[in-house]
Amino acid sequence: MLEYEGVQYKGFRNLYNEDGEAIGFQVGIRLITYRGAWLSQFRFAYVEVDGEKYRADRCTFVVSGVEYTYEETFTLGRVKWPLDEAMIIRVKKPGGLSQGNHTVSALYGEVASYIPGDAGEIDETRTSHGHSEAIGFTREMIIV
Amino acid sequence: MQAQQKPGIHRGVSTYCWYPLYNVNMDLEDSFMIMQDMGAHGLEILADGIIKGYPYPSKEWLNKWFALCDHYEIVPVEYGHWVESKLFRGRESTVEESLEQLIHDIKLASYMGFTCMRTKLGVIDGKLTPTLIWRDVIRKALPYAEKYNVVMQPEIHSPTRLTDQMIMDYVEFIEKEDTQFFGFNVDFGTFQNKPTPGRELPPGFKMNPSLPEDIIPLLPYIHCCHAKYYNMSEDFDETTIPYVEIINIMKEHGWNGYLLSEYEGPNKESYNHCMTQVRRHHVMLKRLLGE
Repeated sequence: MLEYEGVQYKGFRNLYNEDGEAIGFQVGIRLITYRGAWLSQFRFAYVEVDGEKYRADRCTFVVSGVEYTYEETFTLGRVKWPLDEAMIIRVKKPGGLSQGNHTVSALYGEVASYIPGDAGEIDETRTSHGHSEAIGFTREMIIV
Repeated sequence: MQAQQKPGIHRGVSTYCWYPLYNVNMDLEDSFMIMQDMGAHGLEILADGIIKGYPYPSKEWLNKWFALCDHYEIVPVEYGHWVESKLFRGRESTVEESLEQLIHDIKLASYMGFTCMRTKLGVIDGKLTPTLIWRDVIRKALPYAEKYNVVMQPEIHSPTRLTDQMIMDYVEFIEKEDTQFFGFNVDFGTFQNKPTPGRELPPGFKMNPSLPEDIIPLLPYIHCCHAKYYNMSEDFDETTIPYVEIINIMKEHGWNGYLLSEYEGPNKESYNHCMTQVRRHHVMLKRLLGE
Protein backbone atom coordinates (compact mmCIF):
# COMPACT_ATOMS: atom_id res chain seq x y z
CA MET A 1 0.00 0.00 0.00
CA LEU A 2 1.02 3.59 -0.61
CA GLU A 3 0.76 6.58 1.68
CA TYR A 4 -1.82 9.15 0.59
CA GLU A 5 0.72 11.94 0.20
CA GLY A 6 2.69 12.62 -2.96
CA VAL A 7 5.97 12.50 -1.05
CA GLN A 8 6.22 9.09 0.61
CA TYR A 9 7.74 8.74 4.07
CA LYS A 10 8.79 5.13 3.68
CA GLY A 11 12.02 4.87 1.76
CA PHE A 12 13.35 8.22 3.03
CA ARG A 13 16.97 7.69 4.11
CA ASN A 14 20.58 8.44 3.31
CA LEU A 15 22.56 6.46 0.74
CA TYR A 16 26.09 5.17 1.40
CA ASN A 17 28.99 3.93 -0.70
CA GLU A 18 31.00 0.78 0.01
CA ASP A 19 33.24 2.70 2.41
CA GLY A 20 30.27 3.71 4.49
CA GLU A 21 30.34 7.34 3.41
CA ALA A 22 27.01 9.07 2.85
CA ILE A 23 26.82 10.08 -0.82
CA GLY A 24 23.23 11.26 -0.96
CA PHE A 25 19.71 10.40 0.02
CA GLN A 26 16.57 8.91 -1.48
CA VAL A 27 12.88 9.73 -1.28
CA GLY A 28 9.79 8.11 -2.81
CA ILE A 29 7.00 9.86 -4.70
CA ARG A 30 3.65 8.63 -5.95
CA LEU A 31 1.13 9.86 -8.51
CA ILE A 32 -2.02 11.13 -6.77
CA THR A 33 -4.19 10.39 -9.76
CA TYR A 34 -6.02 7.54 -11.46
CA ARG A 35 -3.42 6.18 -13.83
CA GLY A 36 0.27 5.51 -13.99
CA ALA A 37 2.65 7.31 -16.33
CA TRP A 38 4.61 6.14 -19.32
CA LEU A 39 8.17 7.16 -18.48
CA SER A 40 8.33 9.32 -21.62
CA GLN A 41 5.48 11.36 -20.14
CA PHE A 42 7.07 11.79 -16.70
CA ARG A 43 8.06 15.36 -15.93
CA PHE A 44 10.33 16.34 -13.07
CA ALA A 45 11.42 19.73 -11.79
CA TYR A 46 13.12 19.11 -8.45
CA VAL A 47 13.25 17.60 -5.00
CA GLU A 48 13.62 20.35 -2.40
CA VAL A 49 15.01 19.81 1.10
CA ASP A 50 15.18 22.70 3.57
CA GLY A 51 15.09 25.21 0.74
CA GLU A 52 17.78 23.60 -1.45
CA LYS A 53 16.56 22.32 -4.82
CA TYR A 54 18.01 19.14 -6.33
CA ARG A 55 17.28 19.04 -10.05
CA ALA A 56 17.36 16.23 -12.60
CA ASP A 57 21.14 16.47 -13.15
CA ARG A 58 21.68 15.38 -9.51
CA CYS A 59 18.96 12.74 -9.46
CA THR A 60 18.24 9.28 -10.79
CA PHE A 61 14.82 7.64 -10.84
CA VAL A 62 14.08 4.03 -9.82
CA VAL A 63 10.96 2.36 -11.20
CA SER A 64 10.24 -1.31 -10.49
CA GLY A 65 13.84 -1.71 -9.33
CA VAL A 66 15.42 -0.24 -12.48
CA GLU A 67 17.36 3.03 -12.25
CA TYR A 68 17.10 5.66 -15.00
CA THR A 69 18.55 9.09 -15.65
CA TYR A 70 15.98 11.73 -16.53
CA GLU A 71 17.21 11.78 -20.15
CA GLU A 72 16.80 8.02 -20.41
CA THR A 73 13.13 8.32 -19.55
CA PHE A 74 12.45 10.59 -22.55
CA THR A 75 12.24 7.76 -25.10
CA LEU A 76 10.62 5.10 -22.88
CA GLY A 77 7.06 5.21 -24.22
CA ARG A 78 6.41 1.56 -23.35
CA VAL A 79 7.77 1.48 -19.79
CA LYS A 80 5.23 2.26 -17.11
CA TRP A 81 5.58 3.90 -13.75
CA PRO A 82 2.73 1.88 -12.20
CA LEU A 83 0.09 3.75 -10.23
CA ASP A 84 0.49 1.41 -7.26
CA GLU A 85 4.22 1.94 -6.95
CA ALA A 86 6.34 4.71 -5.44
CA MET A 87 9.14 5.97 -7.66
CA ILE A 88 12.35 6.25 -5.68
CA ILE A 89 14.40 9.35 -6.45
CA ARG A 90 18.08 8.98 -5.58
CA VAL A 91 19.76 12.33 -5.00
CA LYS A 92 23.52 12.99 -5.07
CA LYS A 93 24.57 14.96 -2.01
CA PRO A 94 28.00 14.30 -0.49
CA GLY A 95 27.57 13.72 3.24
CA GLY A 96 23.84 13.03 2.84
CA LEU A 97 21.20 14.75 4.94
CA SER A 98 21.85 15.50 8.61
CA GLN A 99 20.19 13.51 11.34
CA GLY A 100 16.95 15.12 12.44
CA ASN A 101 14.12 17.19 10.94
CA HIS A 102 13.81 18.17 7.28
CA THR A 103 11.19 19.85 5.15
CA VAL A 104 10.95 17.79 1.96
CA SER A 105 8.99 18.61 -1.17
CA ALA A 106 8.93 17.48 -4.78
CA LEU A 107 7.60 18.98 -7.99
CA TYR A 108 6.76 16.49 -10.72
CA GLY A 109 3.92 15.39 -12.94
CA GLU A 110 2.88 13.56 -16.07
CA VAL A 111 1.81 14.67 -19.51
CA ALA A 112 -1.80 13.80 -20.34
CA SER A 113 -2.70 13.85 -24.04
CA TYR A 114 -6.39 14.34 -23.31
CA ILE A 115 -5.82 17.55 -21.38
CA PRO A 116 -5.16 20.73 -23.40
CA GLY A 117 -1.69 22.22 -23.27
CA ASP A 118 1.79 21.43 -24.51
CA ALA A 119 3.93 18.54 -23.39
CA GLY A 120 6.87 20.61 -22.18
CA GLU A 121 8.56 20.80 -18.81
CA ILE A 122 6.66 21.72 -15.65
CA ASP A 123 5.79 25.38 -15.28
CA GLU A 124 7.44 26.12 -11.93
CA THR A 125 5.61 29.42 -11.55
CA ARG A 126 2.43 27.44 -10.99
CA THR A 127 1.92 25.68 -7.69
CA SER A 128 -0.61 23.23 -9.06
CA HIS A 129 0.47 19.67 -9.76
CA GLY A 130 -1.52 19.24 -12.93
CA HIS A 131 -4.80 17.54 -12.15
CA SER A 132 -3.59 16.08 -8.85
CA GLU A 133 -4.66 17.67 -5.63
CA ALA A 134 -1.83 19.66 -4.14
CA ILE A 135 -1.78 17.63 -0.94
CA GLY A 136 1.28 16.06 0.58
CA PHE A 137 3.82 17.36 -1.87
CA THR A 138 5.60 18.95 1.10
CA ARG A 139 6.20 16.94 4.27
CA GLU A 140 8.11 17.28 7.50
CA MET A 141 10.30 14.19 7.73
CA ILE A 142 13.08 12.83 9.96
CA ILE A 143 16.39 11.26 8.98
CA VAL A 144 17.51 8.67 11.52
CA MET B 1 -23.07 -8.90 -25.03
CA GLN B 2 -23.24 -9.41 -21.29
CA ALA B 3 -23.69 -5.73 -20.42
CA GLN B 4 -26.70 -5.49 -22.72
CA GLN B 5 -28.34 -8.80 -21.70
CA LYS B 6 -31.27 -7.32 -19.85
CA PRO B 7 -33.05 -4.33 -21.37
CA GLY B 8 -33.38 -1.19 -19.30
CA ILE B 9 -31.14 1.14 -17.37
CA HIS B 10 -28.69 -0.42 -14.95
CA ARG B 11 -26.44 1.00 -12.28
CA GLY B 12 -22.71 0.77 -11.99
CA VAL B 13 -19.61 2.51 -10.69
CA SER B 14 -16.42 3.83 -12.22
CA THR B 15 -13.24 3.24 -10.25
CA TYR B 16 -12.58 6.94 -10.85
CA CYS B 17 -14.70 7.42 -7.72
CA TRP B 18 -11.93 5.95 -5.56
CA TYR B 19 -8.85 7.28 -7.26
CA PRO B 20 -6.96 9.14 -4.58
CA LEU B 21 -7.72 6.39 -2.06
CA TYR B 22 -7.11 3.35 -4.25
CA ASN B 23 -3.84 1.58 -3.34
CA VAL B 24 -3.81 3.64 -0.13
CA ASN B 25 -6.63 2.20 1.94
CA MET B 26 -8.57 0.08 -0.55
CA ASP B 27 -7.95 -2.39 -3.34
CA LEU B 28 -9.92 -4.08 -6.10
CA GLU B 29 -11.78 -6.47 -3.80
CA ASP B 30 -12.76 -3.61 -1.48
CA SER B 31 -14.25 -1.67 -4.38
CA PHE B 32 -16.21 -4.76 -5.48
CA MET B 33 -17.57 -5.19 -1.95
CA ILE B 34 -18.80 -1.59 -1.96
CA MET B 35 -20.54 -2.16 -5.30
CA GLN B 36 -22.16 -5.34 -4.04
CA ASP B 37 -23.44 -3.47 -0.97
CA MET B 38 -25.18 -0.99 -3.28
CA GLY B 39 -26.45 -3.54 -5.79
CA ALA B 40 -24.50 -1.66 -8.44
CA HIS B 41 -23.13 -4.44 -10.62
CA GLY B 42 -21.77 -2.54 -13.64
CA LEU B 43 -18.11 -1.68 -13.54
CA GLU B 44 -15.90 0.80 -15.32
CA ILE B 45 -12.21 0.45 -14.65
CA LEU B 46 -9.50 2.90 -15.55
CA ALA B 47 -7.39 0.12 -16.97
CA ASP B 48 -4.02 1.68 -16.42
CA GLY B 49 -4.55 2.26 -12.71
CA ILE B 50 -6.45 -0.94 -11.92
CA ILE B 51 -4.78 -3.72 -13.91
CA LYS B 52 -1.69 -4.83 -12.04
CA GLY B 53 1.19 -4.82 -14.49
CA TYR B 54 -0.75 -2.89 -17.16
CA PRO B 55 -0.57 -3.24 -20.13
CA TYR B 56 0.72 -6.79 -19.64
CA PRO B 57 -1.06 -8.31 -16.62
CA SER B 58 0.05 -11.71 -15.40
CA LYS B 59 -2.12 -14.77 -15.85
CA GLU B 60 -2.28 -14.97 -12.07
CA TRP B 61 -3.74 -11.45 -11.84
CA LEU B 62 -6.25 -12.16 -14.61
CA ASN B 63 -7.39 -15.34 -12.86
CA LYS B 64 -7.93 -13.33 -9.70
CA TRP B 65 -9.89 -10.76 -11.73
CA PHE B 66 -12.28 -13.38 -13.08
CA ALA B 67 -12.72 -14.97 -9.65
CA LEU B 68 -13.52 -11.62 -8.00
CA CYS B 69 -15.96 -10.60 -10.76
CA ASP B 70 -17.71 -13.93 -10.36
CA HIS B 71 -17.83 -13.83 -6.58
CA TYR B 72 -19.08 -10.24 -6.28
CA GLU B 73 -21.45 -10.42 -9.30
CA ILE B 74 -19.57 -7.70 -11.16
CA VAL B 75 -20.43 -7.02 -14.81
CA PRO B 76 -17.41 -5.58 -16.64
CA VAL B 77 -18.99 -2.78 -18.68
CA GLU B 78 -16.47 -0.20 -19.68
CA TYR B 79 -12.69 -0.34 -19.98
CA GLY B 80 -11.25 3.16 -19.67
CA HIS B 81 -8.10 3.73 -21.66
CA TRP B 82 -6.13 6.44 -23.40
CA VAL B 83 -4.67 6.81 -26.86
CA GLU B 84 -1.64 8.95 -26.13
CA SER B 85 -0.86 11.55 -28.75
CA LYS B 86 1.75 13.35 -26.64
CA LEU B 87 3.78 10.26 -25.86
CA PHE B 88 7.11 11.69 -26.96
CA ARG B 89 8.62 15.14 -26.63
CA GLY B 90 8.34 17.43 -29.61
CA ARG B 91 6.03 15.41 -31.85
CA GLU B 92 2.59 13.88 -32.03
CA SER B 93 2.15 10.11 -32.11
CA THR B 94 1.72 8.61 -35.57
CA VAL B 95 -1.33 6.64 -36.71
CA GLU B 96 0.69 3.43 -36.29
CA GLU B 97 1.79 4.31 -32.74
CA SER B 98 -1.77 5.21 -31.81
CA LEU B 99 -3.12 1.98 -33.28
CA GLU B 100 -0.56 -0.10 -31.42
CA GLN B 101 -1.89 1.23 -28.10
CA LEU B 102 -5.51 0.98 -29.14
CA ILE B 103 -5.45 -2.55 -30.56
CA HIS B 104 -3.69 -3.90 -27.48
CA ASP B 105 -6.37 -2.34 -25.27
CA ILE B 106 -9.18 -3.72 -27.46
CA LYS B 107 -7.82 -7.24 -27.05
CA LEU B 108 -7.21 -6.93 -23.32
CA ALA B 109 -10.63 -5.32 -22.69
CA SER B 110 -12.35 -8.10 -24.58
CA TYR B 111 -10.44 -10.82 -22.76
CA MET B 112 -11.38 -9.29 -19.41
CA GLY B 113 -15.07 -9.41 -20.37
CA PHE B 114 -15.73 -5.75 -21.17
CA THR B 115 -18.24 -4.79 -23.85
CA CYS B 116 -17.43 -1.06 -24.11
CA MET B 117 -14.33 1.06 -23.97
CA ARG B 118 -13.97 4.68 -22.93
CA THR B 119 -11.53 5.58 -25.66
CA LYS B 120 -9.84 8.82 -24.66
CA LEU B 121 -8.22 10.50 -27.62
CA GLY B 122 -5.54 13.16 -27.40
CA VAL B 123 -6.79 16.73 -27.82
CA ILE B 124 -5.39 19.72 -29.67
CA ASP B 125 -7.22 22.66 -28.06
CA GLY B 126 -9.21 23.91 -25.07
CA LYS B 127 -12.48 22.83 -26.70
CA LEU B 128 -11.15 19.25 -26.48
CA THR B 129 -11.05 18.81 -30.27
CA PRO B 130 -9.48 15.39 -30.90
CA THR B 131 -6.20 14.96 -32.77
CA LEU B 132 -6.58 15.44 -36.51
CA ILE B 133 -5.71 11.78 -37.22
CA TRP B 134 -8.61 10.40 -35.14
CA ARG B 135 -10.69 9.24 -38.12
CA ASP B 136 -7.78 7.31 -39.58
CA VAL B 137 -6.94 5.71 -36.23
CA ILE B 138 -10.52 4.71 -35.39
CA ARG B 139 -11.28 3.49 -38.92
CA LYS B 140 -8.28 1.18 -38.85
CA ALA B 141 -9.21 -0.07 -35.36
CA LEU B 142 -12.85 -0.84 -36.28
CA PRO B 143 -12.16 -4.36 -37.63
CA TYR B 144 -10.46 -5.23 -34.31
CA ALA B 145 -13.33 -3.78 -32.27
CA GLU B 146 -15.74 -5.85 -34.35
CA LYS B 147 -13.69 -9.03 -34.09
CA TYR B 148 -13.29 -8.64 -30.31
CA ASN B 149 -16.83 -7.33 -29.84
CA VAL B 150 -16.13 -4.12 -27.91
CA VAL B 151 -17.49 -0.67 -28.68
CA MET B 152 -15.02 2.24 -28.70
CA GLN B 153 -16.53 5.35 -27.15
CA PRO B 154 -15.03 8.79 -26.73
CA GLU B 155 -16.27 10.44 -23.56
CA ILE B 156 -18.27 13.61 -24.19
CA HIS B 157 -17.07 15.74 -21.32
CA SER B 158 -17.64 19.33 -20.23
CA PRO B 159 -16.83 21.89 -21.64
CA THR B 160 -17.92 19.97 -24.77
CA ARG B 161 -21.68 20.21 -25.30
CA LEU B 162 -23.89 17.66 -27.01
CA THR B 163 -24.72 20.16 -29.75
CA ASP B 164 -21.08 20.99 -30.61
CA GLN B 165 -19.59 20.38 -34.05
CA MET B 166 -17.36 17.63 -32.63
CA ILE B 167 -20.44 15.54 -31.84
CA MET B 168 -21.82 16.11 -35.34
CA ASP B 169 -18.45 14.93 -36.72
CA TYR B 170 -18.60 11.73 -34.64
CA VAL B 171 -22.18 11.01 -35.74
CA GLU B 172 -21.27 11.61 -39.38
CA PHE B 173 -18.33 9.21 -39.01
CA ILE B 174 -20.50 6.49 -37.41
CA GLU B 175 -23.10 6.76 -40.17
CA LYS B 176 -20.55 6.89 -42.96
CA GLU B 177 -18.72 3.83 -41.63
CA ASP B 178 -22.06 2.16 -40.83
CA THR B 179 -20.59 0.77 -37.62
CA GLN B 180 -21.95 -0.28 -34.24
CA PHE B 181 -18.46 -0.36 -32.76
CA PHE B 182 -17.97 3.36 -32.27
CA GLY B 183 -20.26 5.46 -30.08
CA PHE B 184 -20.31 7.81 -27.11
CA ASN B 185 -20.07 7.88 -23.39
CA VAL B 186 -21.96 11.00 -22.32
CA ASP B 187 -20.58 12.43 -19.10
CA PHE B 188 -23.47 14.05 -17.21
CA GLY B 189 -21.19 16.95 -16.28
CA THR B 190 -22.12 18.37 -19.67
CA PHE B 191 -25.60 19.05 -18.17
CA GLN B 192 -24.33 20.80 -15.04
CA ASN B 193 -26.48 23.91 -14.59
CA LYS B 194 -25.81 24.83 -10.97
CA PRO B 195 -22.45 25.50 -9.35
CA THR B 196 -20.70 22.98 -7.13
CA PRO B 197 -20.66 24.44 -3.60
CA GLY B 198 -17.29 25.96 -2.83
CA ARG B 199 -16.06 25.84 -6.42
CA GLU B 200 -15.77 28.25 -9.33
CA LEU B 201 -18.21 27.81 -12.17
CA PRO B 202 -16.97 25.21 -14.66
CA PRO B 203 -16.21 26.30 -18.26
CA GLY B 204 -19.17 24.35 -19.69
CA PHE B 205 -21.51 26.13 -17.30
CA LYS B 206 -20.31 29.55 -18.42
CA MET B 207 -20.94 28.63 -22.08
CA ASN B 208 -24.47 27.35 -21.35
CA PRO B 209 -24.55 23.64 -20.55
CA SER B 210 -26.15 20.90 -22.64
CA LEU B 211 -29.90 20.58 -22.13
CA PRO B 212 -31.35 17.21 -21.11
CA GLU B 213 -33.27 16.91 -24.41
CA ASP B 214 -30.01 17.35 -26.37
CA ILE B 215 -29.29 13.69 -25.59
CA ILE B 216 -32.32 12.35 -27.49
CA PRO B 217 -30.86 12.14 -31.03
CA LEU B 218 -27.65 10.63 -29.64
CA LEU B 219 -29.22 7.83 -27.58
CA PRO B 220 -28.78 5.13 -30.27
CA TYR B 221 -25.01 5.70 -30.16
CA ILE B 222 -24.64 5.69 -26.37
CA HIS B 223 -23.78 2.38 -24.69
CA CYS B 224 -23.06 3.71 -21.20
CA CYS B 225 -22.80 7.04 -19.43
CA HIS B 226 -20.69 8.62 -16.76
CA ALA B 227 -23.30 9.48 -14.16
CA LYS B 228 -21.27 12.40 -12.90
CA TYR B 229 -22.02 13.78 -9.46
CA TYR B 230 -20.46 16.72 -7.70
CA ASN B 231 -22.65 17.20 -4.66
CA MET B 232 -25.13 14.70 -3.20
CA SER B 233 -27.28 16.35 -0.53
CA GLU B 234 -28.40 14.70 2.70
CA ASP B 235 -31.80 14.07 1.17
CA PHE B 236 -30.27 12.21 -1.78
CA ASP B 237 -30.46 14.91 -4.43
CA GLU B 238 -27.65 15.80 -6.84
CA THR B 239 -27.76 19.59 -6.57
CA THR B 240 -25.82 20.60 -9.72
CA ILE B 241 -27.14 18.35 -12.54
CA PRO B 242 -30.82 17.98 -13.64
CA TYR B 243 -30.94 14.22 -13.01
CA VAL B 244 -34.74 13.88 -12.92
CA GLU B 245 -35.14 15.30 -16.43
CA ILE B 246 -32.20 13.35 -17.88
CA ILE B 247 -33.26 9.98 -16.46
CA ASN B 248 -36.89 10.50 -17.41
CA ILE B 249 -35.90 11.24 -21.01
CA MET B 250 -33.69 8.15 -21.15
CA LYS B 251 -36.48 5.98 -19.72
CA GLU B 252 -39.12 7.42 -22.05
CA HIS B 253 -36.94 6.68 -25.07
CA GLY B 254 -36.25 3.12 -23.97
CA TRP B 255 -32.50 3.52 -23.62
CA ASN B 256 -30.62 0.40 -22.55
CA GLY B 257 -27.29 0.53 -20.82
CA TYR B 258 -25.34 1.34 -17.70
CA LEU B 259 -25.07 4.52 -15.68
CA LEU B 260 -21.62 4.51 -14.14
CA SER B 261 -21.14 6.68 -11.06
CA GLU B 262 -18.27 9.09 -11.35
CA TYR B 263 -17.57 11.39 -8.43
CA GLU B 264 -15.77 14.58 -9.33
CA GLY B 265 -16.71 16.71 -6.33
CA PRO B 266 -14.58 18.07 -3.51
CA ASN B 267 -12.94 16.25 -0.56
CA LYS B 268 -11.87 13.25 -2.64
CA GLU B 269 -9.12 12.66 -0.09
CA SER B 270 -11.73 11.78 2.54
CA TYR B 271 -12.75 8.11 2.54
CA ASN B 272 -15.86 8.80 4.61
CA HIS B 273 -16.94 11.62 2.34
CA CYS B 274 -16.48 9.60 -0.86
CA MET B 275 -18.33 6.59 0.55
CA THR B 276 -21.20 8.78 1.77
CA GLN B 277 -21.45 10.50 -1.61
CA VAL B 278 -21.47 7.28 -3.66
CA ARG B 279 -24.12 5.65 -1.46
CA ARG B 280 -26.29 8.76 -1.63
CA HIS B 281 -25.87 8.73 -5.41
CA HIS B 282 -27.13 5.16 -5.64
CA VAL B 283 -30.09 5.88 -3.36
CA MET B 284 -31.04 8.62 -5.82
CA LEU B 285 -30.49 6.43 -8.89
CA LYS B 286 -32.53 3.56 -7.42
CA ARG B 287 -35.41 5.93 -6.74
CA LEU B 288 -35.24 7.52 -10.20
CA LEU B 289 -35.02 4.16 -11.94
CA GLY B 290 -37.85 2.70 -9.86
CA GLU B 291 -35.77 -0.17 -8.48
